[in-house]
Amino acid sequence: MKKLLTAIFAMASTTCALAQETTTSPLEISGSVDTYFKYDFAKKPNNITTSFASDHNSVSLGMIDIALKKKTGKASFVGELSFGPRGQSQSIPNGSVDPVTGDVSSFHIQNLYVNYDFTDKFSMTAGYMGTFIGYEVISPVGNFNYSTSYLFTNGPFQNAGIKATYKFSDKVSLMAGVFNDWNTYSATRGVSAVGGQLMVAPVEGWTAYLNVLSGAGAGGYGTIEDLTTSYQVTEKFKLGLNAANYDIDNDGGGYAGAALYPQYAVADGVVLGLRGEYFKYKNVGAVQGLKYTAVTFTANIKSGGLTFIPEVRLDHSGDKPFFKESGAAAPNAGQFSLAAVYAF
Amino acid sequence: MKYILFIVLATFSIRLAAQQKQFSKDDFGKFIYYQVVDSQAVVKDTLLQRAKTFVNTLYKKTMKQESVSDSSISAKGTMVIDKTILVAGHPSGEVSYQFVCEVRNGKYRFWLTDMQFIPYQRDRFGNFVATTQIGTPLERTPGKLSAGAWKDILNSTYAKVEKFGAEFKKFMATSRVAAPAKKKTETISTKKW
Repeated sequence: MKKLLTAIFAMASTTCALAQETTTSPLEISGSVDTYFKYDFAKKPNNITTSFASDHNSVSLGMIDIALKKKTGKASFVGELSFGPRGQSQSIPNGSVDPVTGDVSSFHIQNLYVNYDFTDKFSMTAGYMGTFIGYEVISPVGNFNYSTSYLFTNGPFQNAGIKATYKFSDKVSLMAGVFNDWNTYSATRGVSAVGGQLMVAPVEGWTAYLNVLSGAGAGGYGTIEDLTTSYQVTEKFKLGLNAANYDIDNDGGGYAGAALYPQYAVADGVVLGLRGEYFKYKNVGAVQGLKYTAVTFTANIKSGGLTFIPEVRLDHSGDKPFFKESGAAAPNAGQFSLAAVYAF
Repeated sequence: MKYILFIVLATFSIRLAAQQKQFSKDDFGKFIYYQVVDSQAVVKDTLLQRAKTFVNTLYKKTMKQESVSDSSISAKGTMVIDKTILVAGHPSGEVSYQFVCEVRNGKYRFWLTDMQFIPYQRDRFGNFVATTQIGTPLERTPGKLSAGAWKDILNSTYAKVEKFGAEFKKFMATSRVAAPAKKKTETISTKKW
């Protein structure tokens, strides 16, 4: 009996000692650079007014992006800087004005936050973060298409705040948080937004995110409901979907739209994709909101860290918000682009 | 000077040779990392217990036991592969594998096989996450575009698997001595004397 108890005690001590080892990762450095050439068929820069790639007939800059991450035990941080048109004025606020001196600070921060894993299931994050809303992101590495959707352009880019995430299982997790208004380093109307995300993975290869963000945002106080989902149907075929609705309080407008993203791997390192989008601005009083449909054909040709992205995009709006070469209003716009993105 | 140059070149060559170790293939054409280890004077039951502790305790976060018998244990696991940039780096993907260990009195063998690679990509929050849940078998012949990157993945995987194997052998070779019982500290009472 004594020997048995000693053996059990020995095994328990060993188990305890082994299980208490903490995790420390080395400093992680990653990032990307991107450049593009775009040709608008009406020879107008920024004819299609979605984000980035706004030049015409120019070999132009995207951004250089550098991210640092480190985890020690249960705590981790991420700091991400970006420079260049895509990573500065076109996506993040340029800076803030000192109220005393009037000096303008030049910030280029995509992510700056700390995270603490209280348990394997529960963690909290605080700081300035990429938004949890939507399918597309600022970094060209995270998107299949080089041009962006109307849903992305009109939604939030970053949210500063505090959020808590609980992972029920590999198939279900829930996030809830409080945030500043969209796309600002400092709150202009207090920490006045609440948001949440439910993640479900019903079957292997399929993940869906149901997102809600309510509070101060673009155009006033309002609520966004967003569905972002993707399904790796087979080894070669993937289907993504984004649908969102934004209502600004007091009939202040908003938008609604949906985009579908089928992609097919035709060869090793070569994937063809299509984005089909319908987007509508909501009416404000008697002013009708504009409607858009857009079809984008994109290829991703990958070799190591380099992705070459040829793309053709055709947009239509019966409200004629586009321009012809002559300057006259036009219902259609089209563009061809070539982009090179290197992720390291 | 000539000798210094020779030593530097020789060291460089050895490092190059060491970097090009490759997986062998098993009867089914799958990559395999296979080792037979002499563990003299250690009985079968002790070896099996140590293997079970390795899988279920030391590597419990990345390995999951699938089956166990009186002389073997099998498990499924994943290991993260890193991409190194100068002195820092980041995860580039993960490799899932099948682990099997069989024991006899005084010796054991283990192998890792059925390895599949899932690439990582940085998400909107700066964290590296899997881009798909469908893994690519390491035995796959890459196309020309991804040949260079695939070679790096194979090399990194081999290095990781080799390290895993060394850790497992070290664990199996180490006896777990019972911690001595804690000596009760004597306290002095000033109430009675």
